[in-house]
Amino acid sequence: MMHIYAFGSVCRGEVDNGSDVDLLACVDEAAPELDHRKYSIYRYPRLRALWAEGNPFAWHLHLEARLIFSGDGSDFLREIGAPQPYVAVESDYAKFQDLFMQSWDELERGANSATFHLSCMFLALRNFATCHSLAQGQPIFSRRSPLLVVPRLPMSAEVFSTLTRARLLSTRGHGDRLTVEDIRAVLKAAAVVPPWMNTLRSLHERI
Amino acid sequence: MNEFNNRIDAQRRILSLVNSRPWREELYGLSVAAIERWIHANGLDPRSALTATIYASADKLFFLANKSQEQITEEYRLLASEVRRLGDSLAALLQSSYPV
Repeated sequence: MMHIYAFGSVCRGEVDNGSDVDLLACVDEAAPELDHRKYSIYRYPRLRALWAEGNPFAWHLHLEARLIFSGDGSDFLREIGAPQPYVAVESDYAKFQDLFMQSWDELERGANSATFHLSCMFLALRNFATCHSLAQGQPIFSRRSPLLVVPRLPMSAEVFSTLTRARLLSTRGHGDRLTVEDIRAVLKAAAVVPPWMNTLRSLHERI
Repeated sequence: MNEFNNRIDAQRRILSLVNSRPWREELYGLSVAAIERWIHANGLDPRSALTATIYASADKLFFLANKSQEQITEEYRLLASEVRRLGDSLAALLQSSYPV
């Protein structure tokens, strides 16, 4: 038994040079024929568990995934319905804020692997904003989620695009290498992030 | 620290080791695409022990390196001791082939 779904940027129409097609394979036993570099491979019980805990990834799939193959004609994700409510936002806020602060610290002290640190800063911002939007009941799974939530991250689109470029270099090996000026611009702009994160957290606490 | 951030730390440690040498272009991440780019940019042998060890580390951490959509799940267990062992091998290989 197998189901294959597309999800991610291609389902949102966010297609550019750095886009990839995210594929989910739902399987009931080990599937060595599937390349784990091309597919996110999940067994059916694990997906049901993610649904039961209201995991953000479950919500992402529920709202965005499109069936492209079914071994038996059914649509597994549609049939299991909506995930449970998302309740882990507090720990997710803390997790992604920690990641941002640590990566920023590494970058600031001039450690090597600057592109990787910038990539982690992007990941932290994107996941922080996406989790916040999900907790607010208005989920945004876009790569630009920090610029789309309210209040938006007060960072220029240009600096944010440097972070996005770092992420694409780190994950897809795609793009022009970053310059010293690119890195300096991010370092200059990064101070806006902790207050913005605290604002989103306080908005959530008020609900 | 939680499992998610521990996994990022594991990746950061591997990259920090590799990038402690003056490559023409740094290794940007542990995705297969990033490793292939680094090998090409630095004219390295893709079958060397060094690149094989980096690929092996990436394989342990592939879920983190390659699949951004899964970053917010706790889907996989960190194979911490195995990743540490690979890091030790990497340090030894770098020291023998690219001494500081």
